[in-house]
Amino acid sequence: MNSPSKVPVTILTGFLGSGKTTLLNRILSEEHGKRIAVIENEYGEIGIDQALVINADEEIFEMSNGCICCTVRGDLIRVLGNLMKRRDKFDYILLETTGLADPGPVAQTFFMDDEIASEFSLDGIVTLVDAHHINQQLGRNQESTEQIAFADVLLLNKTDLVKAEELDELETRLREMNRLARVHRCERADVAISTVLNLEAFNLDQVLADHPTFLEPEYPFEWTGVYALSPGSYELSLDDGPDPTMSLVMLERLDPNEEALQQGAEWCVRRYAEHASKISPGNIVPIDQHVELQLQISGQKSFAIKIEKQTSLALFAQHTAEEFNLRLGASDNAEVLPVLERTWVAQHEHDDEVGSVAIEADGDVNPNKLNAWLGKLLREKGIDIFRMKGFLSIAGESERFVFQGVHMLFDGQPDRPWGNEPRHNQLVFIGRNLDGNAMKREFEACLN
Amino acid sequence: MPKLVRNKSHGVLQNGFFAAVDDYPIAGGWGLNGKLFAVGDASGSIQAFDGTSGRKIWGNSEAHVGGIMSMSVSSEGKQLASVGQDGQLAFWDFADGQLQHRTEIASGWVEHVAWSKSGNHLAVSSGRVVTILSSSGGKIWSSENHPSTVSALEWVTDQELSTACYGRVTFFNTSSGKENERLEWQGSLVSLALSPDGNVVACGSQDKSVHFWRRSNVQDSMMSGYPWKPSELAFSHDSILLATGGGEDITVWSFEGNGPEGTTPGVLEFHKAPISSLAFSHHQRHLASGCREGGVVVWSLGRRGGGHALGGAPVNGSVENVYWRPDSRSLAAIDSKGGITVWRVKKI
Repeated sequence: MNSPSKVPVTILTGFLGSGKTTLLNRILSEEHGKRIAVIENEYGEIGIDQALVINADEEIFEMSNGCICCTVRGDLIRVLGNLMKRRDKFDYILLETTGLADPGPVAQTFFMDDEIASEFSLDGIVTLVDAHHINQQLGRNQESTEQIAFADVLLLNKTDLVKAEELDELETRLREMNRLARVHRCERADVAISTVLNLEAFNLDQVLADHPTFLEPEYPFEWTGVYALSPGSYELSLDDGPDPTMSLVMLERLDPNEEALQQGAEWCVRRYAEHASKISPGNIVPIDQHVELQLQISGQKSFAIKIEKQTSLALFAQHTAEEFNLRLGASDNAEVLPVLERTWVAQHEHDDEVGSVAIEADGDVNPNKLNAWLGKLLREKGIDIFRMKGFLSIAGESERFVFQGVHMLFDGQPDRPWGNEPRHNQLVFIGRNLDGNAMKREFEACLN
Repeated sequence: MPKLVRNKSHGVLQNGFFAAVDDYPIAGGWGLNGKLFAVGDASGSIQAFDGTSGRKIWGNSEAHVGGIMSMSVSSEGKQLASVGQDGQLAFWDFADGQLQHRTEIASGWVEHVAWSKSGNHLAVSSGRVVTILSSSGGKIWSSENHPSTVSALEWVTDQELSTACYGRVTFFNTSSGKENERLEWQGSLVSLALSPDGNVVACGSQDKSVHFWRRSNVQDSMMSGYPWKPSELAFSHDSILLATGGGEDITVWSFEGNGPEGTTPGVLEFHKAPISSLAFSHHQRHLASGCREGGVVVWSLGRRGGGHALGGAPVNGSVENVYWRPDSRSLAAIDSKGGITVWRVKKI
């Protein structure tokens, strides 16, 4: 889709006060050898110290057929149409939207208008997030949710105003909403220019370049709790939960911080791959071993944990503590609370309407069934699907098929040959109120 | 497929002159009954060339800071009006390029300018507002905000102006400033053409259709299926033919009899790139077309819209626009590489 002669365009979105102008000025003042034209939609913020700045009034044009994917930004068509005639004077365009702009029509303008599509390529959507205020904004404004859903890059700005734990929580929340985006933390929008420009996020050849496996690593556990424990005996209690068993790995001496947790998680993935010993209630749970707690009997079940030296113990559990009302009691029956908790697959944690649905499956898809399913999905849910990306193994085709899309606009092409690689499929949809389980089922029905 | 005559003289197009400007030409116009041809470009300069020899007669490199947006020649051809990104309207003496006066219109781009038929008034648009001025630059009235940016304007008579924007065409009485009529269509109207008899208003829409209304009975129709948005529209001098460009082919609709509804349009195939300019001769059903790959063709059309090529010639860049000299005996093309090519059109 991108050809070298097309001028790349980066869309900068974010709520008022999230730091768009600061970032813009940072990019413009940096020595990057690019001649940048700026299209601004917001008036009256801090001035931009650069000559070629064009103001555009947001004008959203719906077409007569009422189709949402045909909704474009008329002002941009005009302004870009004029810039085309001066294209020897710049080689990059930064398009700053208003804080309340819906990124959909902005992005669609680059695909729906032939003239624009032939001269410009949408490079990426960068959304600035005010770490201090975004939680409130997400609750109140559809626009800020959509700006996060559409983003290729999320800049978590103003991190200096927020505590580290809150940032972790926020990042988890944002990643849940948009699993395709890269997240960078920054203060005063101070990021390397390469993190926001030349992303080629809409270029099919690049769709998977940054995400070789595409999805965040999937852990076999959902929850970790870190407990500071002195020597002694402890009781791990669980009530009835959704499953008759629960896998668990406990690690000692794990510092209660994110970095240690990540390292511990990697270690635990290997432990989880080992055979699990079944542990029945009343027995001791061994440390640093993959165990499967037997929870078939109803009511509260207790397991023993022996600690010999003062330690920081991490429980990597297959389910969240909440699901089984998991708790740790000291010998005097007093409850010990975790000093740090983390969910690895934090589904429904914030009940955000907007979220990511990731589908992974081995095997080949039947192209007719896939077309019928995708056609129906986009017809019925296209308005609610903001972005999609992925690759498919199509029956009878020797090459991988890559695709990406915005709302109902779908763009796909054959990629490299599969060769000896196991044929499989990965699809990610970011959208509003998507029924992930139904989508997975329906996709699996398309497999041969 | 019409056969294109290509010889040294390119069929009816006979070599006139070639001149060049330093930047992307935005607008052009013949003045002084075809004695001069003026071009305004993206750098903001205006230059005028002798219409026969191509010799540069005058130039002003700072006509509009930021670039020219549009130009219009007064009916008697003595004055040139230009608007630009500097928010200004400027009047030039076509003979020597002397600035007559300048008027501040807006803080942003002034995108369109058009002289009325008598030359007594001018209409300009900036953003959502249209302003009518006297030929001396005095403001007469300004419209309220249109629902979106005005994408085109054209005079119907000396008393009536039409404007296009997203979703509608509006007719204003330019003496009173009142709206005479409003024709609505949900779509982004990117081009506007009025039949010279004032009866038909045609608009190209972003959604790859052409919509038109007959003012006599407010009957409207839509023609869709264009591969590109039809940003180029032109009516023949006798109001019978509407040529539309929305792709590589030119589709010509005939308003003869009960048409064009229910009729098959003429299709002119030759260009290998999307049509970027269309203009009918002032005197005959001869159509000049230009495309993005730099070809200019002159066609002879019948009353039903069909036709054949009379001649064609290449230019260096994408054809930005084509202009018939007032006597229709010469044709000028401006292209994206800064070229100004003028041909003499052989009498047929």
